[in-house]
Amino acid sequence: MTLTISELSWGHPLPGGGWRQLFDGFNLNCQSGQFVVVIGNNGSGKSTLLNLIAGTLKLKGGSIELGQRRLHRYRDHGRARWIGRVMQNPLEGTCPGLSIAENLRLAERRRRSGLSFSGLLGVRPSHSDRKRYQQLLDALGIPLGHRLDTLVGELSGGQRQTLSLVMATLGNPELLLLDEHTAALDPKAEAMVMDLTERLVRQLGATALMVTHSLSQAMRYGDRLLMLRDGQLVHDWSATERMQLSEEALRQLYGSGIVAAPNADASNGP
Amino acid sequence: MLSLWLGAYDQGLAFAGLALGTYLTLRVLNFPDLTVDGSFALGGGTAAVLITQGVPVPLALLVAFGFGCLAGLVTGLIHTRLGVNDLFAGILTTTGLYSITLRLMGRSNIPLTDTPVGIDRLPDLSAGFDEEWAMALTLVVLGLMLLVGLLLSTDFGLALRALGNNPTMARANGINQRRGLNIGIAAANGLVGLSGGLVALFQGFADVTMGIGSLILGLGMVIIGESIFRPRNISLGLLSAVVGAILFRTLIAIALALGLEPVDLKLVTAVLLLIALAAGRLRIPGLSAKEKV
Repeated sequence: MTLTISELSWGHPLPGGGWRQLFDGFNLNCQSGQFVVVIGNNGSGKSTLLNLIAGTLKLKGGSIELGQRRLHRYRDHGRARWIGRVMQNPLEGTCPGLSIAENLRLAERRRRSGLSFSGLLGVRPSHSDRKRYQQLLDALGIPLGHRLDTLVGELSGGQRQTLSLVMATLGNPELLLLDEHTAALDPKAEAMVMDLTERLVRQLGATALMVTHSLSQAMRYGDRLLMLRDGQLVHDWSATERMQLSEEALRQLYGSGIVAAPNADASNGP
Repeated sequence: MLSLWLGAYDQGLAFAGLALGTYLTLRVLNFPDLTVDGSFALGGGTAAVLITQGVPVPLALLVAFGFGCLAGLVTGLIHTRLGVNDLFAGILTTTGLYSITLRLMGRSNIPLTDTPVGIDRLPDLSAGFDEEWAMALTLVVLGLMLLVGLLLSTDFGLALRALGNNPTMARANGINQRRGLNIGIAAANGLVGLSGGLVALFQGFADVTMGIGSLILGLGMVIIGESIFRPRNISLGLLSAVVGAILFRTLIAIALALGLEPVDLKLVTAVLLLIALAAGRLRIPGLSAKEKV
């Protein structure tokens, strides 16, 4: 589905008083199935943009549409029917006190809230659910298929983030939001998770927005590369244009941004 | 000794609804719910009023369950709709419930002298004690455990557990946090209300103050059960809450048999819980400090 952001407006109060208007008339259009990578300095609005799309932050003005659907009219859990999210912190994207199978079941049911009457029918995850999850994990080469009853809290950060990624792609989401999802991983786990990300995004055919601080990831992955600075889109490269860039040139562009003061960092929202 | 054990067993089962309700709010929903002090007395008072007016016991208990649910729903709505802090929302409801229960009862104490109809028809395992009660309560509590266990094993229960475990992740997976908390807190207080009704029936009276300290009692029962079973799944968690309720009442019965004054019971309970908290054996959302200050 095409993601269309029009005249987006959002700001937040500063701790010392005053107001910071981060987005003011921000526009973005991502074609259906496009894998878009977003880079930018701290405070440039990357994560805030994802949070506004996901609905964890309320926009002050403008609109966000996914296909014909006006996303901004739904609350965050309502938008989850069409959006799969992987968060930066491996602890945030999964339920540590539930088993792997239970976490997968939750994600699979994303389109239909478990709190409806239909959620009362049948013990879940059922035997057939478990079989399906095992096949899914095995097919993706993730060695967790035989550990479906293991509590997610007992997994390593890399394993959790892998699971979180699989969960985000379950239930056929139309939009994937990946918020620096490899930032907390060691290089080996990072490579593994990024490889899986690429495969799942292509396999799913969903529109994907991936925020990253890693310039090597930005150079390597995606169909389009965006650079944000202070809530503005300052560069928009196609995959072909990006190939003509060197990592050094990108680093210089990246470094030329005005780095926001730490207390003005809006990446976590108010 | 047998009568002491049987009495504790019966009382423990009567209080099992309180333990299950506490387990549901604190362990499943991760919500420190102080409404239980009010909903326990509300359940007891409601059941007593209805039974004295000739309403069949099962129906009276069902209404006690329903009123408990309503009390929990009020706390849930105060918290989720008005944004009031979880602890304060419970305190507000409990404070209001005291007057409501008193109005409902018409006086502060209602005696229930007659054994409820039907209890004496249950099989008598061995003559002399309260075996009919034991059988009736065992059936009720087993039914409750089965019902709650099944509920928590469905997609519905999974959603509630996810909300208590990681609300951010739960919302990102389409779970309505407000609705989940409202339903969960209401169901938990329904169990507490039912337990209040059973306790009133068992002890032969309902008192408007019978709910004071119920949260601490419920907590004590849950902790004792968990320290024995160390549950890793919901079924064991529920079982540990019920067994904890029985053991807790047994400990109290032993303490009374050893000469402890009944008036000191709540103090002893509070001290025991404080020791458990201080020893770091217990993490209660909102009640225990994350770090020593």
